[in-house]
Amino acid sequence: MTARSLATGASSGERAASPSVWSRIWQNDAPGYLFLLPWFIGFLGLTIGPILTSLYLSFTHFDLLTAPRWAGADNYVRMFTNDAKFFASMRVTVFFVIFSVPLKLAFALAVALLLNRGMRGLPLYRALFYLPSLLGASVAIAILWRQIFAGDGLVNQVLALFGIQGPSWISNPNTSLWTLIFLSIWQFGSPMIIFLAGLRQIPQDMYEAASLDGAGRWRQFWKITLPLLTPVVFFNAIIQTIEAFKSFTPAFIISGGTGNPINSTLFYTLYLYQEAFGYFRMGYASALAWVLLAIVGLFTAFSFLTSKYWVHYDD
Amino acid sequence: MTIEPMRLTVVTETNSAKRLRKRIFSVVAHVLLISASIVMLYPLLWMLSASFRPENEIFNATSLWPSSWSLDAYFRGWNGLRVSFGTFFINSFIISILSVIGNVAACSMAAFAFARLEFRGRRFWFAMMLMTLMLPYQVTLIPQYVLFLNLGWVNTTLPLVVPKFLAADAFFIFLMVQFFRGIPKELDEAAVMDGCSPWRVYWKIMLPLSTPVLATAAIFTFIWTWDDFFGPLIYLSDMRQYTVMLGLRSFTDSTGLSDYGGLFAMSVLSLVPIFLFFLFFQRLLIEGIATTGMKR
Repeated sequence: MTARSLATGASSGERAASPSVWSRIWQNDAPGYLFLLPWFIGFLGLTIGPILTSLYLSFTHFDLLTAPRWAGADNYVRMFTNDAKFFASMRVTVFFVIFSVPLKLAFALAVALLLNRGMRGLPLYRALFYLPSLLGASVAIAILWRQIFAGDGLVNQVLALFGIQGPSWISNPNTSLWTLIFLSIWQFGSPMIIFLAGLRQIPQDMYEAASLDGAGRWRQFWKITLPLLTPVVFFNAIIQTIEAFKSFTPAFIISGGTGNPINSTLFYTLYLYQEAFGYFRMGYASALAWVLLAIVGLFTAFSFLTSKYWVHYDD
Repeated sequence: MTIEPMRLTVVTETNSAKRLRKRIFSVVAHVLLISASIVMLYPLLWMLSASFRPENEIFNATSLWPSSWSLDAYFRGWNGLRVSFGTFFINSFIISILSVIGNVAACSMAAFAFARLEFRGRRFWFAMMLMTLMLPYQVTLIPQYVLFLNLGWVNTTLPLVVPKFLAADAFFIFLMVQFFRGIPKELDEAAVMDGCSPWRVYWKIMLPLSTPVLATAAIFTFIWTWDDFFGPLIYLSDMRQYTVMLGLRSFTDSTGLSDYGGLFAMSVLSLVPIFLFFLFFQRLLIEGIATTGMKR
């Protein structure tokens, strides 16, 4: 009986119509919805419901203790006209995204290209380069990073061997954000693995043909490898950018939750956390979340729209 | 007659030149890769060795080999806070293992529905599921917090675990749908012909054939839950409930500045479970990333 509920390709009118509409619905649709039930509850209760609620809250003042008070567009107006910290956090986040993502991807691609040339020991190298990616999200690594770039940390000890007196990278507002960018680049392993998988898809005979036509390695890279790899570049860029926008833990640990020195590591997510769980301005924090959603959404839409001009798809 | 041997020598010369160039390239590449690995792994090894050093030696040595080995830092760190790290480890394990069970069960059920069952609205719900992949968690954060607060769940582990049983991490649904679609349909069609219910098809055919993807999902769920800092940070305030990550953070706030040895020792311990997964399931992890493009 339930045979028809499985996607066996049998069209629904094949057998005699069931006696009642309800029993037909039960046979055809019920198993699917029953299997989906846990996800469905989560989707309504933890995703759709909260999204709508958060949109509503962004137009209110809400401190968790008293009921939300309608505020109209106050939160948004304040954000864009009278909140230096909002702009500071935006600047920090955009700076972080603009520098960490391309550098990370460039590094990942360079190493993948090197490894792809039939290097012996590829599995070992791949594993070693992947390890930081796997461990990197941990608080332990953020703690390690804080020590490495401290005034008396590992980096300065190494520099001292060469007679260079390094600054305290963490507490200097000019360099503090770069330590976080560095931490992100250090974790280039997983985009590298994705690049490696992409490189393996490129047919080898294209290179042989190009080689016979006298194209050197450099030309082969620009004319064959890179164009054929653009879908993977695109994918990696989207994923890494969204991840970079959401990054929270390293900045929190390294700055002790403050985003200092002088807001130089105040990631947008960190500012949102401070507003929500430090000052309990839940309405304002919801508005911040919606602005973040708008930015990530616009970025994604923009990427997909422009992708047809530079991403090469096989026809 | 004299021309032919000459041409031959020219050919062999260019061949050997080519081989030489290839060799040089390979040596240079290996040197580059090895030095890059050393630079990348040096901080990790340094932390490992720092955790075994006597306290006074941590900051005035760049070398990796301690002059004398000591486990002091581990004992100091283990009991460095009001609550012992043993409690944090137990809490983290409980949360991570429950998350694995919930995630694998709920996501595989949803994935089975999307991949194999036919029902009205399937395409629509599938598209909805894909949309949630892109959603920054900050958008749902505050209403979820309010919800859990009203349920009286704040300062319990429920807000960290229950969403996993509701397949909240849609990424894994997507991962499993991809895998299920690769399993030949003839197998479950035959079972259905024999009168198998969808549940039996799911339980007896799909799940046993999907162990690689289930294992990948289980391992990544464990690692991500183990590493999670934000969730425990906002939901857990009683130190006896803390996870390892929260324990480490408290350590940096209080005694960490005076006891770097203990802090490093606990940091190293916190990485051990992840490192073990790396050691034993490396293939699975790397293949998981290569085929699905996972973020880390």
